[in-house]
Amino acid sequence: MKKLLLIPILAATANVAGASIPINGFIESKCVIQSDTPGMFGNPTVDKLSTKSADGGVMPIIRYDIVTASKYKAVITTPTDFSTSPNLSDSVEWTSTTVAGQMSDSEMSVFNSDKAIYNNGHTTEFDLVKAGSVWFNVTSEAEYGYGKAFPSGNYTALIVAECIAK
Amino acid sequence: MRLLVLLLLLTGGYANAHQFTPTYPKLEISHMPGIMKADMVLFNDRFEINYYGINVFDEKWNPVRFATQNKIVPINYKERKYITIYLSGTGIKNAKYICSKSKILKSISTPSIVSSRICSKLK
Repeated sequence: MKKLLLIPILAATANVAGASIPINGFIESKCVIQSDTPGMFGNPTVDKLSTKSADGGVMPIIRYDIVTASKYKAVITTPTDFSTSPNLSDSVEWTSTTVAGQMSDSEMSVFNSDKAIYNNGHTTEFDLVKAGSVWFNVTSEAEYGYGKAFPSGNYTALIVAECIAK
Repeated sequence: MRLLVLLLLLTGGYANAHQFTPTYPKLEISHMPGIMKADMVLFNDRFEINYYGINVFDEKWNPVRFATQNKIVPINYKERKYITIYLSGTGIKNAKYICSKSKILKSISTPSIVSSRICSKLK
């Protein structure tokens, strides 16, 4: 008799156990690099290639998602050479800028005020002291020789976007 | 401003991203005597990238000798790979950064390519 009474109690307990299935999640500290907008060179004058919109180019945009503040630094290096191009007999002069543009938190503006630039202006280092998403805008300009025309062909240049744990 | 950020988040998503975790891996004892290992996770959400290079560096960014199954990791779009890094001898003492870097095929002809590199730090 006692055993019979136990059956509904056990069944009820089993139902309760079956209804609570946990879903576990864990958000870990990480830095995610996303190539948001691939850049495009414009050719405003015969001797110049530029990603500036005023020069007919498209500015490359790289997005960084920072889960935990102050764990990483972002290092963005702009091109100083073409990875593919027609044969170039003269030197190419490169100039570039990297700035934090769109940001998910206005306090991320500190990225721009505290950035460090080195490697002749081609590498910019940002201390990622705020969590959130930030879009870095990169401009890159290449000038060929002394007013010399770039030969026709396909030009490709490489931007290196890094996230280094501190 | 907030609406713009939200729209960018919704439209952008993680369509083209590179992840390498954990941020601070720990060296653990492996099944081989004198060899330590660190377990890393690589996630490829960059559709134009199918290979990542793995490297280990010391504090001054000098390369450190290590072993792993593939130093160039073939990985599909939206695939997650578990990578074990093995270190021995001075490597155990000197290794500071474990990095993964996207490898771009010559056939990709986008005028401006972004190569992404994420480095985790051994503590």
